[in-house]
Parts: sequence; C-alpha cells; structure tokens
Amino acid sequence: MLEHGKIDGKQAIFLMLSVVLPTAILTIPAGIVRTARQDAWLSVMAATLAVLLIAWLVVSLSLRFPGKTLCEYAEEILGKTLGKIVCLLYIWLFFLYAGSGAVRQFSFFLVTAMMPETPIEVFSITVVAVAAYAVRNGLEVLCRFNQLFLPVTGLLAIVFFLSTIEMKPARLLPVFDAGLLPIVKGTVMPTMLMGEIVLLAMIIPYLNKPEEAQRIAILSALFNGFVLTASTLEALLIFGPDLAAHWIFPTFNAVRVISIANFLERLESVIVAFWVLGGFVKVGVFYYVAVLGSAQCLNLKDYRPLVLPVGVILVSFSSFMHGENIVDMIYYISQIQVPFMLIVFEVGIPLLLLIIALVRGKGGQSS
Amino acid sequence: MRKKIAILLLLFFLSGLLGGCWSRSEIGEEAIILGTGVDLTEDGLIRLSVQIASPGAFSAGGDTSGGGKEPPAWVVWAEGETIEDAERYLAMKVPRRIYWDHSIILVIGERMAKRGTEMVSNFFLRTGEPRENMWLMVARGEARDILQAQPMLAKTSAQATGFLTRMKTGYIVQIWEYAEMRASKGVQPVVTGVEVQDFGEGRGPGQGENSTVQKKVELSGVAVLKVDKLIGWLDAHETRGLLWLKGEAKEGAVIVPSPGEPGKEVSIKIRRSHTKIVPEYDGENLWFNVNIYVEGDMVEQQSRVDLAKPEQIKALETAMSEEIKARTTATLEKAQTEYGLDIFGFGNAFHRKYRKEWREMQNHWDEEFSRAGVNIAVEAHVRGIGLLSMPAGSPEK
Repeated sequence: MLEHGKIDGKQAIFLMLSVVLPTAILTIPAGIVRTARQDAWLSVMAATLAVLLIAWLVVSLSLRFPGKTLCEYAEEILGKTLGKIVCLLYIWLFFLYAGSGAVRQFSFFLVTAMMPETPIEVFSITVVAVAAYAVRNGLEVLCRFNQLFLPVTGLLAIVFFLSTIEMKPARLLPVFDAGLLPIVKGTVMPTMLMGEIVLLAMIIPYLNKPEEAQRIAILSALFNGFVLTASTLEALLIFGPDLAAHWIFPTFNAVRVISIANFLERLESVIVAFWVLGGFVKVGVFYYVAVLGSAQCLNLKDYRPLVLPVGVILVSFSSFMHGENIVDMIYYISQIQVPFMLIVFEVGIPLLLLIIALVRGKGGQSS
Repeated sequence: MRKKIAILLLLFFLSGLLGGCWSRSEIGEEAIILGTGVDLTEDGLIRLSVQIASPGAFSAGGDTSGGGKEPPAWVVWAEGETIEDAERYLAMKVPRRIYWDHSIILVIGERMAKRGTEMVSNFFLRTGEPRENMWLMVARGEARDILQAQPMLAKTSAQATGFLTRMKTGYIVQIWEYAEMRASKGVQPVVTGVEVQDFGEGRGPGQGENSTVQKKVELSGVAVLKVDKLIGWLDAHETRGLLWLKGEAKEGAVIVPSPGEPGKEVSIKIRRSHTKIVPEYDGENLWFNVNIYVEGDMVEQQSRVDLAKPEQIKALETAMSEEIKARTTATLEKAQTEYGLDIFGFGNAFHRKYRKEWREMQNHWDEEFSRAGVNIAVEAHVRGIGLLSMPAGSPEK
C-alpha cells in the first residue's frame, strides 16, 4: 500500500466538510439565489438529499472492494486498459480540474475582496506549496491539521448568530414563488459541489474502520447540507433575493453588514480566516487524491516523487484552465464544471462501475 | 536537535517577512475619510468631496495641549467624469493614500440625485473598501456643504451626522438597504434628507467676539426616488407618516390634543410599535389593511384636566390613534397622488400573499398602488403616565 496512515471516522467526516464548505459557502449562494430566488435554501436542502444518494452509491461501490481505492478497483472491474483510462479521466478531469478550480476560487476571492494589488499567482502558488508539504507527509497529517482548524467554524456560527438582528424572515416569502422548476434547477449546483464527497472513494481504504464508511458519508453529507443551507439563509435573510443575487460573494457582504452597538463590526476577517484555512485543506485533499491516484495508476511504490510535478500542474491549471477573469471563472463553474462533473464523475461513472461490478460479479458483498 | 532549533529559528525570523512590503499601508500614510459627498457640477461633471480626518486633532488631549488649533478635518474635492476619475484627481491633492473604510456617511447632492443615485452607489458597493453600512443621504443643496459644516459635540460634521442618524429620529438608511430597495420591484427607494442650517451666532462660553454664524447639519425629511432618481421630498411631518407605514417608528413622540381641554396638548412618547400590512385582492379591487400597533408613555401635559383616570386614558388612546391615522393618511396621499410611487413596500407585502398575481402586476406596480385603497387601523395604548398623577391645581380636585 502506498499510504500507511490510518484515519478515524471523525477525521474523515471533518475532511469531507473541508472538501466542500470552504469554497461553497461563499461562491454558491449567489448562483442558487439567481435561479431559485427566495427558495434557494429549499434547493440546498433538496440537494442534500441528492448528495445522500451519491454518497450511498459511491460508498456501496467502494465497500465491495475493501482496501482498494477507486483507481484500483476500476481496473479490477473494467480490466486493465479501460480501468486505467477511467482512472486517468478521474485524475485529470476531476481531481486536477476541480482541485485547480478550488485554487483559482481561493485566489480570486482574496484578490477581489481583500488584496487587489497582489498578483493572483502569489496566492495560488502559496496555497499549493503549503498543501504540497502536507500531501508529502501523507493523509494523516492533512487530517490532523484539519481537525485542528475546523473549530474555527464555530466562530463562523457565532458570526451568523450575531447577524440575526439584521435578518427579516419575511424576506423568504412567498415560498414556491415561481413554482417547483426554479428550485429543481437551483439544486444542480449545490449537488455538484457537495457531491465532491465522492473523494471518499479514494480515502475509504485508509479508514481504521472501513465498515463505518456509510455512516461517515451520510453524516458528512448532512453536515455539509446544514452549513450550506445556513449560509444561503444568511445571505437571503439579510439581503433578500433581489440584492443577494447581485453580489458575487453574498455571504461575505452579509457578514460585513453586521454592526452591533457600533462596536462589534468588521467581522469579515472570520470569513477570511475560514476561507484561507479551509481553502488550504480543500486544495490539499484534491491534491492528495490526484497524487495517490496517479501513483496507483502508474504502479509506483511511493507517491512522493509525484508531489512536485502534480503541484506544478495544479498551479498552471488554475492559471490557464479557468478563464482569464472572474467572470469566466463563474461562467465555467456554472455552465461547464457543474453539469459535467455531476453527470460524469459523481453519478455516471460510479453508477456504471457498480452495475458492471454487479453483472460481472466482481468484488465482495456490499455490507 | 541543533538542526531543528536552527530551522525553528529560521522560520521564526522568516515570519517577520510575512507582513511583506507589498501593498503595505502605514496608518500615518493613510488619508482616513470620514464622510463622502458626491455632487454634479454645472458642467455635468461629478465632484467628489471627502472629509479627511486629521489625526493630530483626534489624539488624546489634542484640543488643549499645544500645537495650536488644528482643524479636526479637512474637506477636499475634485471633479471627474466618474467617481473613480474624480478620486484620481483627488489623489493629486491629497498627500496620502485615500482610505475609504471608515467613511461614515455618503451624501449625494440634490442635482446629482436628480441625475441618478445608482451612478453613485455603484462605485461604493463594487469597490470593497467602503463599507456597506455607510449611512446614505441626499442633501438639499450641495453635498459638499454638508461636509464643510461645523459641528457641535462631535469633531467633524460626518461624525455628527452619523450620530444624528443613529438616534433614529428620522428615516435612516444604510447603503445596502438602499441597494435592496433599489433591487426590489415591490418598493421604491427613499433616502434620508439632510440640509445645512444656520444656527445663529454662537454666544456660548469661550466663543467670545470672534463668533460667526455657525452652520450645522440637520436631518430634513426624506428624499423620494423614482427608480433611482430624486423626484421629490417628504418633510419632517410626512416622514413620521412614512415611518409608521414602514413599521420603523421606534422612537419619537405623538402630540395629541388634550381630552377635556381643547387647545392644550399632551405628549406621548413612543415605546414600541409595529406595523402590519395586509393586502386584499379580488381580481379587480386592490386594497390594503394597515394595522399599526403602538405603545407609549405620557410624558407631558399642558392641560389641567386630571388624566389619571381610566376613561381619560381611553380618550387619550383614541386621540393618539386619530393623530397617527391623520399623519399616515397625509403621507400615503402624497405618495399615491403626487408621486405615484410605492415607497412603503406594499408591493412586497402583496407579493408575499398573492405570488401569482404579482408576476403580472409587478411590471406596473406603481400604477396599481396609486389606485389601491388603504384602510388604516391604529391600536394605541398608553402604558405609563410618568411620575405625576395629576397636574397641580387640577380643577377637579
């Protein structure tokens, strides 16, 4: 085995929270509100249900092949050539593309909202370099760090709570304003982003109790859904559907509006802290699975030689594969990344693999 | 071990570089803006005026100890095609980096507001540095004059105006609230009005002979915007009506004629209030039931009637609701007939209840609103009467 570390259930759940939330809480609400207006929070809740299905699918598939990652059992199911192709598709088009997307979003937010004069490459190179160090030290280190930082989310909860004075529940009315269709359309984007927990398929073999995987997947999907619903509600309840759709990062602006007794204000630093720490873990996990997958695909004994080259690819992808400016980036996410990733990598291939495995009778009984 | 210590030391010292020199900003090199004003000049250019704090006047004991009389703020302006353009010209006059984060107020001059407020707010919402919770106001006259006024009790007019706003005596709005009203189809934006008033000659202690006419900033009603252009004003009385209808009359007093003694007044201070707007629509007729609930304490009585009796309190409550009804009706009529604009958010209330009908009506909502009937019902309660039970020399004793 390439990875010798073991992580426990709690660490895995935390890791899945960090895979989804850091970028999602800021970038998602605007897009959903644009389609589903004041029912955006319902979209997120519906998306959570969809993600539970995705999680169930991927975990059932993985549990048929104990001790093997997605890249390994793809070969077992489809045969060597096809399996390697699927594996490479996952690495290049999902892990690296979505990972570099995370790098891009991470850097763009910091440039747009905080440090406009800094070249964007500074942020992307820095975050990838730090992540490279963590990845080189293995999954366990990444998880430990994540466990250390995640309590910062508690601060986020306090900030959301403080903002309740600016909230007006009436802004959520009327429910089902334009019927069911916009709500359904609005679910696509959060489903894709929360669906990134399919990365579990690469991590399940390293759980100290793999039989807990189903519970881990369900809990992380629910937690993700909960926090994402909360941040969508935060933006909606403060700005209402009209203004929330106008911002690029509505949650960020919502937090900036908080002013308690003219004293407790300028709380956006909490959001930024969450963004920086979480963004690093998110990039780290994508980076890790890309490196691990490549090593397994190439039958290497050690994945560490791949850390540097994959990092370079991440940085260059983030500069060249996501358009030239923030408008391109948002367009790519909503028009290309979301439908493509969701249909192909989060639902399509895992479903196909499961069906073929069942037909060919590969793998043990799913528990 | 030694290697480890060396690495730790290296990291420790390297962290000193983390702050970096890129985009660094020393507080002594910032021009901290307290108030911003935007006017339209005669030539159609945008004039950006800013009030910059001069730090010396703010430091502890700055007023008394030496250094003479440094004015606490400096008002400077520049003109340009856009706000950013004007800001660049401004940068040629200000020897420090312009720093927006602490701007308390954003004042739009009357002529600029007639041209369009969106042209102004866009810059301040798009650029990350100014805060979304800046107070937005429209000046009667020039915005620059507001910034140049000399305040009392606060160092600069921007701070004084900010404090005035926070007292919630008038209708007040932060720039993001304006943006919300602007984005919504169910309400037309209204913005605080401010003007400069002569306060007469200061003759207080310490002002001596060199007293001149003092110019002070005063909240003055509300500017009514159509889409984003100033089309008229509500005076202070009408603003009260607006506050009642928007459910934001949380402070202030209701002055009613005293029961039993015409010509004399009783003041009731508002303690809490809320407003509920219930739209009714039968496919043809549109009307709104506005239910206002208010609680207050009697704080002043000019008459000599003994009001500390249940039936007199009842009479007071009736007078109070009559008074509020008259106020709101006047404002409502002005909005419906003179401006033809839904400045109260009735459209949003309608949208909440009749979502299907709204889809069609939102496009000509202001006409629908102008034709709508409104029933105003006020439930007024007098809770306390202060520390006096009856006025001295009450004839009924």
